[in-house]
Amino acid sequence: MTPVPDPGRPAALEVRGLTKRFPGVLALDAVDLALAAGEVHAVAGENGAGKSSLIKLLGGAERPDGGHMRLNGQPYAPRSPLDAMRAGIRVVHQELQMLDQLSVAENLLFDSLPRRAFGLVDRPRLAQRAQALLAMVGLHDLDPARRVHGLGMAQRQLIEIAKALSADCRILILDEPTATLTTRETDRLFAIVRQLRGAGVAVLFVSHHLQELFEIADQVSVLRNGRKVATQPIADTSPDGLVRLMVGRDVAAAAGDALLPHGGQALRIEGLRFSGQSAGAAIDLAVHHGEILGIAGLVGSGRTETLRAICGVDRRIAGRIFRDGREVTITTPRDALAAGICLVTEDRKDEGLVLDMPIRANVTLATLRGHARSGWIRDAAEAVSARRMVGDLDIRCAGIEQHPRELSGGNQQKVVLAKWLLARPDVLILDEPTRGVDVAAKAEIHAVLRRAAEQGMAVIIVSSDLPELLAVSHRIAVLSKGVLAGEVARHAFDEQSILRMAYREYLRTEDDTAAVAA
Amino acid sequence: MTPQPSPLENTAPAGALRLRVVALARDSGIALALVILLAVFASLSPLFLTAGNISNILTQIAINVCLAVGMTFVILIGGIDLSVGSVMAFCAVVSATLLTIDGLPVPAAVALSVLVSIAVGMLCGLFNGVVSSAFRIPSFIVTLGMLNIARGAALQWTDARSIYQFPDAFNDFGSATLIGLPAPFLVALGLVIVGWVVLTRTVFGRLIYAIGNNEEAVRLAGHDVLFYKIAAFTICGGTVGVAALLYMARLTVASPIMAIGFELNAIAAVIIGGTSLAGGRGSIIGTLLGAAIIGVLGNGLILIGVGDFVRQMITGGVIILAVVLDTVRLRRGRR
Repeated sequence: MTPVPDPGRPAALEVRGLTKRFPGVLALDAVDLALAAGEVHAVAGENGAGKSSLIKLLGGAERPDGGHMRLNGQPYAPRSPLDAMRAGIRVVHQELQMLDQLSVAENLLFDSLPRRAFGLVDRPRLAQRAQALLAMVGLHDLDPARRVHGLGMAQRQLIEIAKALSADCRILILDEPTATLTTRETDRLFAIVRQLRGAGVAVLFVSHHLQELFEIADQVSVLRNGRKVATQPIADTSPDGLVRLMVGRDVAAAAGDALLPHGGQALRIEGLRFSGQSAGAAIDLAVHHGEILGIAGLVGSGRTETLRAICGVDRRIAGRIFRDGREVTITTPRDALAAGICLVTEDRKDEGLVLDMPIRANVTLATLRGHARSGWIRDAAEAVSARRMVGDLDIRCAGIEQHPRELSGGNQQKVVLAKWLLARPDVLILDEPTRGVDVAAKAEIHAVLRRAAEQGMAVIIVSSDLPELLAVSHRIAVLSKGVLAGEVARHAFDEQSILRMAYREYLRTEDDTAAVAA
Repeated sequence: MTPQPSPLENTAPAGALRLRVVALARDSGIALALVILLAVFASLSPLFLTAGNISNILTQIAINVCLAVGMTFVILIGGIDLSVGSVMAFCAVVSATLLTIDGLPVPAAVALSVLVSIAVGMLCGLFNGVVSSAFRIPSFIVTLGMLNIARGAALQWTDARSIYQFPDAFNDFGSATLIGLPAPFLVALGLVIVGWVVLTRTVFGRLIYAIGNNEEAVRLAGHDVLFYKIAAFTICGGTVGVAALLYMARLTVASPIMAIGFELNAIAAVIIGGTSLAGGRGSIIGTLLGAAIIGVLGNGLILIGVGDFVRQMITGGVIILAVVLDTVRLRRGRR
């Protein structure tokens, strides 16, 4: 499968059997990849296919658990991002990492500020070199002395790329570089990439925008579940072909597709708009009592933002919310709770758990008043509730006084879930409820959700794990770049068509990519 | 700090017991340090462990205990109040003015001054809380501002003069004793008990701890975080008002330049008592013990002939030592 580089010339970068394990997941499973000098190599794959892990290993941010890497035929084992930079590998990350209060020039050359005697910064030389780099990415007019603070996303993105060029860069890794660029800026970026290719730089290009891959890449490799499933010249395939490769063979109908619900409509959202959504986009959704609605979409497609806007966690720009047919006003999480809507957030450590308080206090956090009489906590009632939830959800712990800090990810997640189930919501909304959770706990969490739905709860679940959604949902809504791209009922579940919907808005080539609202 | 065991607790396995022991050990470790300190001074000075001297120590720490109780609430939510000393002076001069109005019956004057002192303190705390919480400005900055505002206000109010000649009944309270204990200390002890009950037994206290631990989780759980944060500062202001009255009664004077730097002693007591500056972890009992350690250290060192300057250096060392020990223990616990 590995493309054989020109004989006699070693690949610029070659990895063999690259493997990376994270708790509970095999992120990369014996991946082989070869990158030739003067080649643009695209990497495609679903969420969680292993693209980010691959970038982390190549860039020295993480160390592999198996396999080895070679750079121009020499063994390459970076221990830190600095090692990778010294070896000539530069990564332009999706999340920009700029020092807002420093100047453009200082950001560009932060790793190698030109110096004079006594370690003072050589300002004239700094400005001169910065100017040259900015010119390379087409930012001729940008004053290098200007502070980064206040610059737009596109300019920042280009500065980040210029920064990568500042060092002796032989391998450039671009992670979703066009997500915030307009078509014109994207064209400019592609011109730079082609220029670099001409100069013999090897470029690894990771993007959700399949169309772009066909525009810029020479080769494409597809990752699926941590494995590399194909490498081929891009000319030999098509966007549909790539999607097929990403999904693999048809997934067998998920287990337990019994019970199609439902009771009445529990929650309806009309015209939901949140900040960051492209102009004109608005989302309509509805979920019924007893129904589990899955929401699929690529990372960054607005799934989390939708949930948070519904529950008043983040501000909503527009949108009406109806509970059991009656309109409700939700501007704070408190309003959501009062309306019987609970949100299990994505990040359990930052937003879900109080790590330094016992499980007992965590479980009753959302129902504290119900466990109190005129402000006094009823210890006995609280302990009874906590113990019941620990039993119901089978939370493995030393007792309700243990702190969640000491629990495994799966059990921590169950503690968060217990907190919200105890509030007996009519609508339970979950954002990536099983991320970083081991397989057994995952199945248990699914069982809990099914049980809740059977008892009439409406459940909305966002997950990057498509097989998970196929297994638990009665219906799946697909978001693509802040737009509802479609809905699929259980009898019509098909991984390929769902994925195609998820990519739909990214395949468009209009200039509306520009409309990234502040 | 773990709340009281419930009647159903006996079914909990050994792990729970272990955790309670750990929580208890934190406070008892401080208690142990206090006992050792008492023993050392007792052996070095025959005067130290006399009833008179103990009573003296209790009177001396009463004011710091009051301030530290309020400060514990603020630090538990992850804040800090630097304005305590200045606000105390402002409370004092305002209530002293009411206390010295000619022709007002003594009971009425005393009642009025008590209410006003506490009210003024709470208003200053309310300001600190509202500005820092609503505008998300670090409380360090806001209370630093209040430190200057309140001191300036106290000087302006009195034209930089002190106020004397309080009713005898008021002054007597400062030196009164009840069941052998100084009255100011009993007041402080009362605040400790109320604070402890509130923090360990009520929804309010539970949320104070939880906010210090993870504010966002508390907000998402449907609680009004802003209210609790503002309340913590307001409570702190209230205890400052009480401390101001005790101080006036003891010194029989209210001066606009009194209580300078008292906030630092209160913060020191809270920290030595094991409350984390990051918020969410600590206890009022620890704070009481922390204030006691500072008080005993001050008194004992003077008795054994160590000068005031050296005493100050030692107190500073103890603050650092307490935090180092706590940090080391915490890191071990998490490994």
